[in-house]
Amino acid sequence: MSATTDVARMLTLVPWLLERPGATLDEAAAAFAVTPAVIRRDLSHLDFCGLPGLGGGDLFDVSLVGDRIVVSMADELRRPLRPTPHEALRLVLTVDAVADALGGDLPALRSAVDKVRGALGIPEDVADVLEEVTPRALEELRRALRDQRRVRIGYQGRNDERPVDRLVDPWALHVQDGVWYLQGHDLGADGGRTFRLDRIAEVEVLEDQPSVAPPEQLPAPRYAPGPGDLEVDLALLPSARWLEAALQVDHVDEMEDGSARVRLRTEAPRWLARLVLMAGGGATVLAPDELVDQVVELASEALRPQA
Amino acid sequence: MGDKAERLVNLTVALLETRRPLTFAEIRRRTGFYAQRDHESGRRMFERDKDDLRRLGVPVVVSDVAFGEELGYRIDRRDYELPDIDLTAEEVTALAIAVHLTGGEGVKLALTKLLARAPDPMPSVPPPPVRVEVAADAVDAVAAAVVTRTALGFRYRAADGTLTDREVDPYAVVQRRGSWYLVARDHGRDALRAFRLDRIQGAPRPFGEAASFTTPPDLDVAAAVSGPELAAVEVELAVDASARWAVESRGGTDTGHKLGDRAVLRVPGIDPARDRAWLLGLAPGATVVAPNEVVEEVNEGLRSVLAAHGAAGVDGREVPS
Repeated sequence: MSATTDVARMLTLVPWLLERPGATLDEAAAAFAVTPAVIRRDLSHLDFCGLPGLGGGDLFDVSLVGDRIVVSMADELRRPLRPTPHEALRLVLTVDAVADALGGDLPALRSAVDKVRGALGIPEDVADVLEEVTPRALEELRRALRDQRRVRIGYQGRNDERPVDRLVDPWALHVQDGVWYLQGHDLGADGGRTFRLDRIAEVEVLEDQPSVAPPEQLPAPRYAPGPGDLEVDLALLPSARWLEAALQVDHVDEMEDGSARVRLRTEAPRWLARLVLMAGGGATVLAPDELVDQVVELASEALRPQA
Repeated sequence: MGDKAERLVNLTVALLETRRPLTFAEIRRRTGFYAQRDHESGRRMFERDKDDLRRLGVPVVVSDVAFGEELGYRIDRRDYELPDIDLTAEEVTALAIAVHLTGGEGVKLALTKLLARAPDPMPSVPPPPVRVEVAADAVDAVAAAVVTRTALGFRYRAADGTLTDREVDPYAVVQRRGSWYLVARDHGRDALRAFRLDRIQGAPRPFGEAASFTTPPDLDVAAAVSGPELAAVEVELAVDASARWAVESRGGTDTGHKLGDRAVLRVPGIDPARDRAWLLGLAPGATVVAPNEVVEEVNEGLRSVLAAHGAAGVDGREVPS
């Protein structure tokens, strides 16, 4: 840990302790998300800090009796240092995103966010996470989690032609950069699964209680490449480079004219073919051939005259 | 006694305590630091310490003293101190839970600063089963300029790949659909623009004074980011049972008509340019049947897909079946 990190913490630790005379090492450690040993070392430094002159009587008075801490004579640092612009902006955006995600689930958060914005001078027209259309399934799933109920969902996975019924014991909702996921135990697959809310066609909250409890640590809903995945090469015109953000690409070759060649792996070729369609000619599958065929088939079928 | 953390805390206290700016010689006398025999190396050490403090957000102010003969240093307490925030225990608890739900990367210390003089959180409030990832790293490069209202210059790659140099007044940072945008007034175009942060090339460079502009009171960041509403067309789609929910979730309603065995749904508020990708991605489960311009727009896109993949279907040739 660098000296400046220590200083940032110590300048906050002093007002925190002045406000809580007799706090324990463990309490301070928990509040600062460090070990008690780090707090102990901070205190040993602060014992040598104080007003200029450094002549004994002008120093902070730091005493540690048992595991209880009392700091006095440190009035110069009675208030914490303002957060930096980085810290302030990150904090506001973070708590704001959570407030949006929770809806009405934590009512005190809304008023807290307003007060924090006011204190840091960051109103909503300076930094905001725009709430997207709330997925229809969200309210029902919130209710299922609150009341501890099993759900039946109609889910169209990336490789499914149409929504398929699944029975799920819900564990948690997860918002990652504006995209909602449900994590839970899929009874049919008999394992933990992640479902994107915008692919859930319908939700029914059942009377049954969940039978499988969530694991201690829920993994983040990220795609992890598997051995059976298809390796794909795409050529992207500048107009289609937004696809790079939608995909998790392994490798990008930048071309002179602003276009790119990308390589990625996917377990869902059907979904990828659809993304290529969405690019409307800006994205070309270079390999493998079966994916080229799939794209051509989808586009040709769509162009066939309507009955 | 050479501990750097102690020295920086003591320097902070010394510069906070003084009512008038202190010269380097006075700082050295008062603190006992920087007293190396080589005067210049003591001076360099002080400059490094001062820069370190500034990086932490400690507002060290430099001014001319002794009739401009020397530089003086002090910290203005009003700029240093975070004013008290009147938070209830419930609000403190809610903030602590919110930061916990996100994993708290890079925001824990900021929260502790905020809560240093607030009530302690209430114990044993179970967090709701929701987790949130914000990934706010991208905003760091522009954070200081947005908060201090300082103009920025940067090179920008537009959606069509062209590179241009821009100078802007950065009004706001906004996240929408997982992407970060800087909403700003573009000096060269004298107009409001939204820049995607991931298309800014290299580090943006602040220029000019802080507080050099004011954010327009009628700024609508949501509108700035979603772009001009070019058109809101009512589109009719012939929909397979499998694609029906996707169209309904976008506000589609049944017209009661049928085309073959497919139901015809009507979706309002479609912008043919902006929603082109969405319409293309529905194929072939849902096909646009009206109005004609949108049908043609989508078919043109599909023909371009075929052409890009070396398949027929352009120039009036037959589409392979």
